[in-house]
Amino acid sequence: MNQSTFASLMVHMIPFFPDLPSSQAVARGIVRAGADHIEIQFPFSDPSADGPTIEAACNRALAQGFRVSKGFDFVREVANLPGSRTRVHIMTYASLVYARGVQKFCADAAEAGAWGLIIPDLPTDNDEGLREAAQAQGLHVVPVVVPTTTDSRLDLITSTSPSMVYGALRTGITGTKTELGPENEAFIQRILSRLRPYGGQLAVGFGIQERAQVRALQPLVDSVIVGSALVRAIGNPPATSEKELEERVANFVTRLATD
Amino acid sequence: MFETDKPVQGFFGQFGGRYVAEVLRTALDELEEAFVDAIHDPIFKEEYSDLLRDFVGRPTPMVFAENATREIGGANIYIKLEGLAATGAHKINNALGQGLLAKRIGKTRIIAETGAGQHGVATAAVCAKLGLPCRVYMGEVDVRRQRPNVFSMELYGAEVTSVTSGAKTLKDAVNEALRDWASSFAETHYLLGSALGPSPFPDMVREFQSIIGGEVKTQSKDRGFHPDCMVACVGGGSNAIGFFAPFLGDSRVSLIGVEAGGRGTSLGDHAARMDGTGSVGIVQGYKSLFLLNEDGQVQDTHSISAGLDYPGIGPQLAHLGTTGRVQFLRSTDTEALEALKFFARTEGVIFALESAHAGAQAVKIAQEMGPGKNLIINMSGRGDKDIFITAKAIAPQAWKGFLSHEIADMEGIQ
Ligand SMILES: Cc1ncc(COP(=O)(O)O)c(C=O)c1O
Repeated sequence: MNQSTFASLMVHMIPFFPDLPSSQAVARGIVRAGADHIEIQFPFSDPSADGPTIEAACNRALAQGFRVSKGFDFVREVANLPGSRTRVHIMTYASLVYARGVQKFCADAAEAGAWGLIIPDLPTDNDEGLREAAQAQGLHVVPVVVPTTTDSRLDLITSTSPSMVYGALRTGITGTKTELGPENEAFIQRILSRLRPYGGQLAVGFGIQERAQVRALQPLVDSVIVGSALVRAIGNPPATSEKELEERVANFVTRLATD
Repeated sequence: MFETDKPVQGFFGQFGGRYVAEVLRTALDELEEAFVDAIHDPIFKEEYSDLLRDFVGRPTPMVFAENATREIGGANIYIKLEGLAATGAHKINNALGQGLLAKRIGKTRIIAETGAGQHGVATAAVCAKLGLPCRVYMGEVDVRRQRPNVFSMELYGAEVTSVTSGAKTLKDAVNEALRDWASSFAETHYLLGSALGPSPFPDMVREFQSIIGGEVKTQSKDRGFHPDCMVACVGGGSNAIGFFAPFLGDSRVSLIGVEAGGRGTSLGDHAARMDGTGSVGIVQGYKSLFLLNEDGQVQDTHSISAGLDYPGIGPQLAHLGTTGRVQFLRSTDTEALEALKFFARTEGVIFALESAHAGAQAVKIAQEMGPGKNLIINMSGRGDKDIFITAKAIAPQAWKGFLSHEIADMEGIQ
């Protein structure tokens, strides 16, 4: 495998989906394949920014006994997988962060070995002290922006010099395929022009399902995000064993990352 | 008619805010601007007032509940008959206001959430009147138990979409409407039905509902009394805040909000958030008091009245409860049914189950206050819509006989 053509990916997964041991196998597959980033979504009862695939997976994970404290245990295991070069991000909704206390959530995330926090409903100017608390723990808050985000909001968001920005390539919710076009490139350039001066990184995603999409985005951005597509692949067909699931996930990631 | 000085407060103490992903940010920023602009425009105000009069049937009457007052032997009880508004509840004041606003800013499609169906019915009627296509999201469980309202919405031409995610009730319908809006806001207005959600909704819904309190002020002055106490039920809080708003600065009036006590005090058996059970949280775009577990996951609720069966409370009422300006009580399912029977028998008025929660506490309070004082209940809705629930609870045998006969009749025809 030629390292330089292995795309930088951020791969999304949900602990306890479809159950704890299977989700551990999924995480191992992602890390083993060499994804640069893993986005671990802590399930919330009311994920109003997610589409049906991720919402159903979150409900299943909650029914399987997900608790926030177990989420941090999960993160710790993933961060400590031998030989891992994968950065761990925790994605969740404001309710979970606020209920634990913003400072405690950040302290627990840092202790577990996370690198980034993605909390879309704690926006930069209504963040309940998230950025400050994260910084104090050496964590990075990754803001999410969309094509309809205005220039003045992009200025506001990047004025805090986030180490990484998550660009959703279209409006709407997770789960449906995004057709890539010139407007995506314009959006990417709008963000990059604000990140490059200080060296901030850009990951983009929403509706990425195929190698062709990754290939098109790879030269433009620092990382490409894969979400619902993997969630779907996990259950279909049902895994025969954890070993097989880990293998399947590693292959899935590799196929998206290389030709 | 509107509070034009600072109509959008955004935060009420620590509660409120606009805790949304960036994708909804633009839509909400634009909505705030459009709303503030509209309520300063005499043409918009005139159009709204004319339709409130001609289409909604305002002002709604306020009746002296003479028999009830005599039987209880306490304060004079008045009932603001908000349920006489078109489509049977206060919901239409807000639906009409937002519908006109949507049209004014060039939106060509309306979406809404509904629980019991009252807000859905009001929105569907307004959309029919204004010529706007409308989709109403409604939990699968509610679709099943509120068929008459689904029928009305469809008759008004709305498309009712059954929501199968989560608990399949009101909060899930809100999630689904938010999902729709995240990709459709360029041409679609989300017509939210209570005084909650991300700013500017709590402020906007209060302004469109304040017509209730405004009329009460005039109606009590015309009769030569000043209210000592006002009582309203609280689901999300739109009828209560609209009823209270013009009196918030008037310390002579005590304001009472009544939540759903359901069938018990354990989490899952009620929808009362204000007496220590709710936790401060951020859900569905706003900070307020919610029924959550320690992880911040939203908990199931129960009430005999679908309109009160929601885990969060509007941020302004949460704040007013915290400061003590509004006092909160709860009525159980049984107390609400008893109050419904009481006012039907004494006053010839059938309360909606939601409003009957206010009625139940009002009776107790009137007794404690004693004669010479004046208390006003907001009957936010009339009870026709609840007949499948109330008849089942009050006269199960006769109702069962009727339903079996209906089915036999329909099958005979086929
Ligand atoms: C008649 C009636 N009253 C009250 C409510 C509760 O809503 P809110 O608290 O927003 O007034 C509803 C909601 O469906 C209702 O139909």
